[in-house]
Amino acid sequence: MEIKVKTEGSKMTIAVNGRVDTVTAPELEASLKFGDATCVVLDIEQVPYMSSAGLRLLLTAHKTMLVNGGEFQVANVQPAVKDVLDITGFSDILNLI
Amino acid sequence: MNARRSLDLKIALSVLAAFALSMAFTWFLHGHLSENDAQELIGRTFRAVESEISDCVNERLVRQCMAARERLEEGHPDDTASLQDLARELQVTEVSIADEKGDIVRSSVTDYLAAPGKPAFNFAAAGGQAADMMSLVDGRETEYCQPFRSNAANGAWRKFVGVWRPSGGFVEIGCDGAALRGLARSALVDLFRNWRVGGTGGIVVTTPSGLVLSDYAEPNREGTQWTEPDASFYWKRVEIESFPTYVMIPRKVAAVQRDVLVSATAALNGAALVFVALLVGFVISAFVRQQMQAQTARELKMAKDIQRAALPNVFPPFPDETHFDIWAAMDAAKEVGGDFYDFYFTGQGRVLFLVADVSGKGVPGAMFMMRAKTLIKSIAQTGKPLSRVFEEANDALCEGNSSNTFVTVWAGEMNTRTGHVTYVNAGHNPPVVWHGGTVEYLRSRPSLVLGAMAGVKYRVGDLQLAPGDAIYLYTDGVTEQPNASGELYGEERLLKTLSGSPCLREASLGTVLDDMRRHAAGVEQADDCTQLAIRYRGEPDVVSWNYAPTMEDLAKATSDLEGALASIPDRVRNQMLVAADEIFANIVRHSGATKWSLTVEKTRYPDRVRLITTDDGKAFDPLSRRDPDTMLCAEERAIGGLGILIVKKTMSPVTYRRRSGKNILSMGKDYGD
Repeated sequence: MEIKVKTEGSKMTIAVNGRVDTVTAPELEASLKFGDATCVVLDIEQVPYMSSAGLRLLLTAHKTMLVNGGEFQVANVQPAVKDVLDITGFSDILNLI
Repeated sequence: MNARRSLDLKIALSVLAAFALSMAFTWFLHGHLSENDAQELIGRTFRAVESEISDCVNERLVRQCMAARERLEEGHPDDTASLQDLARELQVTEVSIADEKGDIVRSSVTDYLAAPGKPAFNFAAAGGQAADMMSLVDGRETEYCQPFRSNAANGAWRKFVGVWRPSGGFVEIGCDGAALRGLARSALVDLFRNWRVGGTGGIVVTTPSGLVLSDYAEPNREGTQWTEPDASFYWKRVEIESFPTYVMIPRKVAAVQRDVLVSATAALNGAALVFVALLVGFVISAFVRQQMQAQTARELKMAKDIQRAALPNVFPPFPDETHFDIWAAMDAAKEVGGDFYDFYFTGQGRVLFLVADVSGKGVPGAMFMMRAKTLIKSIAQTGKPLSRVFEEANDALCEGNSSNTFVTVWAGEMNTRTGHVTYVNAGHNPPVVWHGGTVEYLRSRPSLVLGAMAGVKYRVGDLQLAPGDAIYLYTDGVTEQPNASGELYGEERLLKTLSGSPCLREASLGTVLDDMRRHAAGVEQADDCTQLAIRYRGEPDVVSWNYAPTMEDLAKATSDLEGALASIPDRVRNQMLVAADEIFANIVRHSGATKWSLTVEKTRYPDRVRLITTDDGKAFDPLSRRDPDTMLCAEERAIGGLGILIVKKTMSPVTYRRRSGKNILSMGKDYGD
């Protein structure tokens, strides 16, 4: 798994490359440190699929940013990931762009 | 129908009872009425008879009274003794003379005359009928007759008659009963001989001693002894002017009147009751018929339900089976029929499938069908060869088959590994076979139908199926469905419809039915339409790995799976990888397993992948968990159960089993065509 973090002022973009599952989720979790960022974009264009281990991370990040008064966005969702988000109802609570 | 007859009998008896009751009432009523009529007629007759007799008697007595007056006017002495003489001469009891004031001034009876201390009898003072005599004094009447009655003066029974005197006052004679009768008797003889009362009844007048004066029944009977009428008459006796008089009507006459009335009523009542009985009978029989029809319909529906329930009806019937697919459908016509299909394993890797059609319909057909189905299955499951199964089933069905019902069957037995099929055709329609890209009827010389004749041998045919090949069985309900002009659906149309798709699929069964109904164009389905299709899929491509419950092995399993699914379209592969990750994580983290394994099974026709995980952890059926609520907002969300939800939503079929201390979870996914 490859994770690239880019910060421009208060906006942070985290680009992930590779699947998010039980094996890789801890690695991603470690990278989800937002600092003072008020807008976090998780770019998952290069994520072919994501299991519920990944969903847990998305939910945690979303809640954290809500508490901080910031915004958490998920960008470039691939079909297999979209399927999972739809099935679990996550499409309705996450900001998908 | 016995019930029907006894019902008719009951109605008839009820009507008869009602009739008898109403007749008894009518008879009683009219008997009573006719007696009343008779009595009333007797009463009316008496009034006429009374005045007739009085007229006769009065006429005689007035004549005597006028004779007395004449004698007195001529100068007959009027002292008491002379008047007594005159009374004797005129055959009356007494003679009196009254003055203008109504006082008796001369009389043959000294009691009437004035005596010292006692005034003369005065008519005006006596009042009552005596006072009416005063009408002779003032000239209103010239003659006056009292009825025979008890005397006002001394209580003796007398009839008084008076005539006026031109010189003033009046002459009065009085007669006792004997004198009265002596004078009047001759006038009454045969007086009523021509009177008839109520047809054949009449009047009899007698003397007080019972000698006949006038008898309606026998004229000229005067003087004979009279006996009172018996109970065969309605009658009444009244003494008129001292003459006992009878008015009588034979009861027979009244009875005839009653009988006529009763007969008329009987005819009317009878007609009405017969009409009512017929109406009631008709209504009841219509009701009973309706009830019986409803009952029959209920029972037929039950028979149909039982019959349906006896057929395997859960699809896919063998979820773990990768070598073949099997589908079947019975589209029943309104009437309960004798079609059936069946399939089951007859041994390791041997599946038997059949379609059958019983010659009879209705409940007998359905019962024969159940018997045939059960027999074939019980024999087949002993593992005997197909020909033997048919021979034994045939012999059993022939036993006691007095109605000569029979059943046509096409049965095949497939080796699920090799695709080799042996089959027997007992007089059934030829099946359609997909074979290496061609679709055609499998025409073989049929053997005899089952149940026709014992001891028959059954020919066995065979057929090698390649992966993707299929056999389609049906009953003639499909091919013999007519349209409005009587044209049958036919084998040609069926073949054309089936050839429309490159391979046989589950949907093919519905396509055939739709096309058949299009052909029928509204004509009601004539017969059961039963279809069964089996498709051989060949040996699956199977690969297996064993793992330890560690994160390293989990990562290894994921990459093994990725490699195994390399040839599968991206989206399906990704869905499978997500589902697999959920299951792997469960096993490694929560099951407490010491080892686990993954099997990937790929089959074609259709393209299908199946993942089977086995672990020796604690028993856990992920499918029994309730789905989490996916409608909650982010703050309320908890993670847990989402993984299983994803598995259930993306994979089909998903099955769980616990076998020999192991959890076995299988997830399938079809893709491609």
